[in-house]
Amino acid sequence: MLVGICSSAHIGFAAEEKPIDFSRQILPLLSETCFKCHGPDKTNREAGLRLDKQQPALTGLESGKTAVVPGKSAMSELYRRISSADPDLRMPPVDSGKKLTSQEIALLKRWIDEGAQWSGHWAFESARKPGLPQPVPDWKTNNSVDLFIHSRLQKAELKPAAEAQKATLIRRVTLDLTGLPPTIKEVDDFLRDNSPVAYERVVDRLLNSQRYGEQMGRRWLDAARYADTHGLHLDNERSIWPYRDWVIDAFNRNLPFDQFTIEQLAGDLLPNPTLSQRVATGFNRCNVTTSEGGSIDEEYYVRYAVDRVETTSTVWLGLTSGCAVCHDHKYDPITQKEFYQLFSYFFSLTEKAMDGNAILPPPSVKVPTKLQLATQKRLQEQLAAAQKEIETGLTQWKYTDPLATAKPVPLTQNDKVWFDDALPPGAKPAGNGPNPWKFVTAPDHPVFSGKNSTVRTGTGITQHFFTGAKDPLVISENDRLFAYVYLDPKNPPETIQLQFNDGTWEHRAHWGADKAFGAGRNNASNKPIGPLPETGKWVRLEVPAATVGLKAGSKLNGWAFTQFNGTVHWDKAGLVTIASLAPEQQASLAQWEHFRAKVKHPALPGEIQKVLNVAKEKRSKDQSQKLLRYYLQNVHPDARKRFAEPLKNQQAWKKELADIAKAIPSTLIMEERKQPRQAHILERGQYTEKREKVSSGVPDWLGPTLSDAPPNRLGLAQWLVSPTHPLTARVTVNRYWQHYFGTGLVKTTEDFGIQGEQPSHPELLDWLAVDFVESGWDVKRLQKMLVMSATYRQSSRVTTEKLAADSENRLLSWGPRFRLDAEVIRDQALAISGLLVEEIGGKSVRPYQPAGLWKPVGFGGSNTSVFKQDKGAKLYRRSMYTFWKRTSPPPTMTIFDAPDRETCQVRRARTNTPLQALVLMNDVQFVEAARKFAERVMTDGGGDVQQRVTYAFRSILTRQPKPNELRLLSQLFNDYRAEFKATPEAAAKLLAAGESTRNESLDVNELGAWTMVVHLLLNLSETVTKG
Amino acid sequence: MHPLRESALIETRRHFFGRAAAGIGTAALSSLLNPNLFAATSDKQSTFGGIAGLPHFAPKAKRVIYLFMSGAPSQLDMWDYKPKMQDWYDKDLPDSIRNGQRITTMTSGQKRFPIAPSTFKFQQHGKHGAWVSELLPHTARVVDDLAVIKTINTEAINHDPAITYIQTGSQLPGRPSNGAWLSYGLGSMNQNLPAFVVLHSTVNGGFGGQALYARLWGSGFLSTRHQGVSLRSNGDPVLYLSNPNGMSAKMRRRMLDELATLNRDRYTEVGDPEIQSRIAQYEMAYRMQTSVPELTDISNESKHTLDMYGPEVKKPGTFAANCLLARRLAERGVRFTQVFIRQWDQHGNLPRDIRRQCGIVDQPCAALLNDLKQRGMLDDTLLIWGGEFGRTIYCQGGLTKANYGRDHHPRCYTKWMAGGGVKPGVVYGETDDFSYNVIENPVHIHDLNATILHCLGINHEQLTFRHQGRDFRLTDVHGKVVKEILT
Repeated sequence: MLVGICSSAHIGFAAEEKPIDFSRQILPLLSETCFKCHGPDKTNREAGLRLDKQQPALTGLESGKTAVVPGKSAMSELYRRISSADPDLRMPPVDSGKKLTSQEIALLKRWIDEGAQWSGHWAFESARKPGLPQPVPDWKTNNSVDLFIHSRLQKAELKPAAEAQKATLIRRVTLDLTGLPPTIKEVDDFLRDNSPVAYERVVDRLLNSQRYGEQMGRRWLDAARYADTHGLHLDNERSIWPYRDWVIDAFNRNLPFDQFTIEQLAGDLLPNPTLSQRVATGFNRCNVTTSEGGSIDEEYYVRYAVDRVETTSTVWLGLTSGCAVCHDHKYDPITQKEFYQLFSYFFSLTEKAMDGNAILPPPSVKVPTKLQLATQKRLQEQLAAAQKEIETGLTQWKYTDPLATAKPVPLTQNDKVWFDDALPPGAKPAGNGPNPWKFVTAPDHPVFSGKNSTVRTGTGITQHFFTGAKDPLVISENDRLFAYVYLDPKNPPETIQLQFNDGTWEHRAHWGADKAFGAGRNNASNKPIGPLPETGKWVRLEVPAATVGLKAGSKLNGWAFTQFNGTVHWDKAGLVTIASLAPEQQASLAQWEHFRAKVKHPALPGEIQKVLNVAKEKRSKDQSQKLLRYYLQNVHPDARKRFAEPLKNQQAWKKELADIAKAIPSTLIMEERKQPRQAHILERGQYTEKREKVSSGVPDWLGPTLSDAPPNRLGLAQWLVSPTHPLTARVTVNRYWQHYFGTGLVKTTEDFGIQGEQPSHPELLDWLAVDFVESGWDVKRLQKMLVMSATYRQSSRVTTEKLAADSENRLLSWGPRFRLDAEVIRDQALAISGLLVEEIGGKSVRPYQPAGLWKPVGFGGSNTSVFKQDKGAKLYRRSMYTFWKRTSPPPTMTIFDAPDRETCQVRRARTNTPLQALVLMNDVQFVEAARKFAERVMTDGGGDVQQRVTYAFRSILTRQPKPNELRLLSQLFNDYRAEFKATPEAAAKLLAAGESTRNESLDVNELGAWTMVVHLLLNLSETVTKG
Repeated sequence: MHPLRESALIETRRHFFGRAAAGIGTAALSSLLNPNLFAATSDKQSTFGGIAGLPHFAPKAKRVIYLFMSGAPSQLDMWDYKPKMQDWYDKDLPDSIRNGQRITTMTSGQKRFPIAPSTFKFQQHGKHGAWVSELLPHTARVVDDLAVIKTINTEAINHDPAITYIQTGSQLPGRPSNGAWLSYGLGSMNQNLPAFVVLHSTVNGGFGGQALYARLWGSGFLSTRHQGVSLRSNGDPVLYLSNPNGMSAKMRRRMLDELATLNRDRYTEVGDPEIQSRIAQYEMAYRMQTSVPELTDISNESKHTLDMYGPEVKKPGTFAANCLLARRLAERGVRFTQVFIRQWDQHGNLPRDIRRQCGIVDQPCAALLNDLKQRGMLDDTLLIWGGEFGRTIYCQGGLTKANYGRDHHPRCYTKWMAGGGVKPGVVYGETDDFSYNVIENPVHIHDLNATILHCLGINHEQLTFRHQGRDFRLTDVHGKVVKEILT
């Protein structure tokens, strides 16, 4: 049924006769009609009249008259005015748009005449567990829920429906508890199980399924306004899905609701909070945030805190606190001051007002997966073991320097010219301009060596280079690269750069301004070496090969001369080779030190270079030790071999650890500022209009402040779940009721205030609420109680008479029947087709969506302005894992009434529109599901057409097809097959929908025809309905 | 029509976007295929959905076309002529004018607020001599049909909150958009099309500029059936409209017939009226598969009409094409058509970029107005033009006589309205010499929205929806109708 959200607050199913109940009959009337001017809001109060409290209503008015004289309606100004014939006197005034019916006037009269008893609003008084009603003879009851429902049905002269058929029941309860349909095997097992606890076994199995947590979590995420983008302006991606996974897990491990509450609102404030408890606080980081240029921080601190109060208030209190942002609430007794006291709880976070369009606007926390944690632990242990081995080796290695006092060996150093007057053989010249390598000769031009030099004049970055040299230039350890350069003094460049190609060009060195390739990098792919050389003379440039990332063994095939502006001559280039030490010299620390003092090596660790820079005799013991350890592990020919393996392993494991550290996801969390931010009452909610200072506090008319609770969010959370709190348990059980029965016992799930709807079964609501608290807030137990009830298990068949008596089924004289949620509709199709990938949690995925949805709305610089569809398994995850971009949410979800996730939602609409028909008819996801399911029908569904129709039917609807259904669908199959045969290619085209492969072994026309048949089945009203 | 199908349709209690006031028959379908027939009988045409008691009084306009200039066009360079500013070039904005008003953090750090006079020439046009800049030659020719309001103002100083505010009445997400309110209040005049359609325009073949948000045409706490439906220029005009490859229309028809049979059997068995409604939705979906392509097919438009909109009209997705499409939607009874065009956010290089933008919108805007007029539809179609706020007289970034940029300015800017219920040839409101403050007849965006609703026969204080115990309105607790610009 469509949720008709607008409804009159005062006619409901609670309007039973007998003594007048102020809270349920009179207060809603006064609230609706009078409170706007005569209610809790003092600034707009007229005539000094206040009707929400007894004392002020019984005392004299500004006019001297008295509004309510108990027992005497004739003397009561209230009655005189509401019943006055004079339109100028009559209340409510015409321009208020409000009216009282004659019955309502009579009711108010009767109330005054009966003594004008006052009481508080029912929902603001603690619930007391009422006694159980007497069972109605012959009506089947399973638990206490049924007693309340039956008692009310009996009063309305309605009878409950019989229990639904087993096939219907297992579909209903499986969809409800897991969001997925039962398999044929599960149905058959249940049908075969004739024991009285057969159904209970199914329920227990479902409650223990991991799918249960997903289904429950999905609904909670509407309330939490969970999404994968920030929501305002750029609407960039945010990482908070570990919170989503926390919710799923919390339901699966049946975290009691009080603890569930405390961890989400204040997990960070618990003593020594666990990582999980900190992740839980993501609840209040799910709000929309901005980083729009020009925004003023203070305005957004206020907006975020207001959103958190409103969300918390809607979810736990079932109260609309938003009105009190600007003024005292007009209906409920929440004052503006109380609002800002709640606001204060959420006003002192370490978050910044601007999210920076970052994926993780702080505060956030790393949330490694179990696998990541285990791998990290293993690697660290391996590292330690390897280190131990090295240490043992070092201790055992008794080193004495054989050449400690010998003379240093002289260096052998040679220039190896690679090219001078001509390019090396095989080199392909290239560069800017038509003739990039311009060779010029003396005396008109400067030449350093041989016959010629090259010259280049240009603006901006310009270069000449070659690649493809036949005999590569092989780099050895310690080698340096050189080239001669001459800068034109009349037209000097701003930058000169050498680039070396060993397969890539990512080896560069530059002199002067950082204006050539790879500007800004400052690494081997563009290393700054120094200032420009002097102009007007030949200068030799040198750069150690290791500095530009060329290791021993690298082979150069290309070289580039690059400049920014100016005129530059180049000449002779190549390699300076330096002979390494012979092994026996290498075995001497002293000889190696001498060598290294002359030939610096960029790869040498900084701390070792530092030790080398200190004169031997001045080194501390520690420094000497450090050097020796390094030398043995990396230089000494024999020792080096001894340590090679553990060192190599260590390097690999460290890299693995670094990769894990990068891959560990993070999530947004709550964190309190050390110095709290002072909250004020804000006039009309304007951040600039600060009034009285306020500190954190709870509206204590709902329940006293807990004496031992801390004055922070933790205290607020503890107050919300204190056992006598009048709202939290009622609001929560009501939301669960709504899941199963479509409408809450209080229809306005989000509003338990005076303007909200009266409960259809007030005593049942209170009984459930108290029972829930008494059970230790046991969520699974409550779900089980609801689905075990006879009320839930009724057939959902309805008669015209029952429809006429109770069109919305508020009294539940038949079983729940309504359209499935958006996510369930898609997940069901995926499950039936076998496409569903049942993996829990993880980063959100981007399944199919029509092209071009994000671009027309997205900001150019946003990282969600271009939709890039995922591939493979990610196309077939449950819908709750679909990436939710708030400013352009997935259309297949919103068309079926999924909320936009910009604000907290605790009740979804259920519409029935042609756009929904179009999704099921044409969305590729549903067509693909049909064709994959058709394959199953052919491979698993039995041999003949009727068997296959039955298989398809039961897979989707659990029940057996009726003879006419069987006939119709079989005929349809034959006709479609004939049609596909007559239309070559048509079936193949249809079977190309989606990215999964097609089972080519099946006859294409037959598969096409089955696809059409199951496509029809997926479109049935019954398929998208829980019945 | 199949007799059973017919009866299912008549029995259905709900349809596209609301509760059916009449049975659904062939009349509606033919009206869609033949808009002239529809237009001729439009006075008697039933509406579908809507709430009892609306309109509150005889409406002047039946429908709205809202040409939304996202990013905020500069009133100073198009409409709000400030000749004295030429003498103020590069002088500082006097403190007495800024008067301590807050400005965005994009310019609040600037050392100076130098005046940037408009580089564009203004001339008086029309019988009443309205000043219009050289950027808008076509619009200038129809200025006698417009009510130009120079004193629109808002509190929001940044795009996201400001556009959310003007579209929904609140700077924060969560409220229904203007079109959703109209769909909810007045229902649809053509049950084969949504009551609220949104069109996105390309600029130079692409999209870009300030972001838009689904909430701008969202339904907030109203039923999702009231949310705007985007009519797209690429792919399916309405999402999921086309049958899958390989599925012929005949196959689809057969599938729908059998689907209806099975659904009907199920209804007989379980008695849920929602099943009947779903049968009808499938029939409507099927009809949309024909009616929507017909709607977007402009091959029957005359050369005269096409020429009027300019050369871009034949490129789907351009502003010109969308203006023509807006007329076709209006003809078919779509209640609210919103055309968005972005890239008006000219913090720098304003003269170059505003010239490009005006080059795109000027001719189609005037053409749409003339086209409606020639068809006798301007009288009951309300046309609105403008953005979410205005721009500052002071320069953002470097200033020369020929080049400057302007920051966001919420305190006064210009929009125009025309058509149903609007007094033609009016310039309303006056701003100070700097176009910084309103000096006469302010029109807050709540007043504008109240006035729009008024043109449609709605008392903005009485179009309410109870949500969380409170009666919400498009105009929050504000808004007064600007009677002076109404006929």
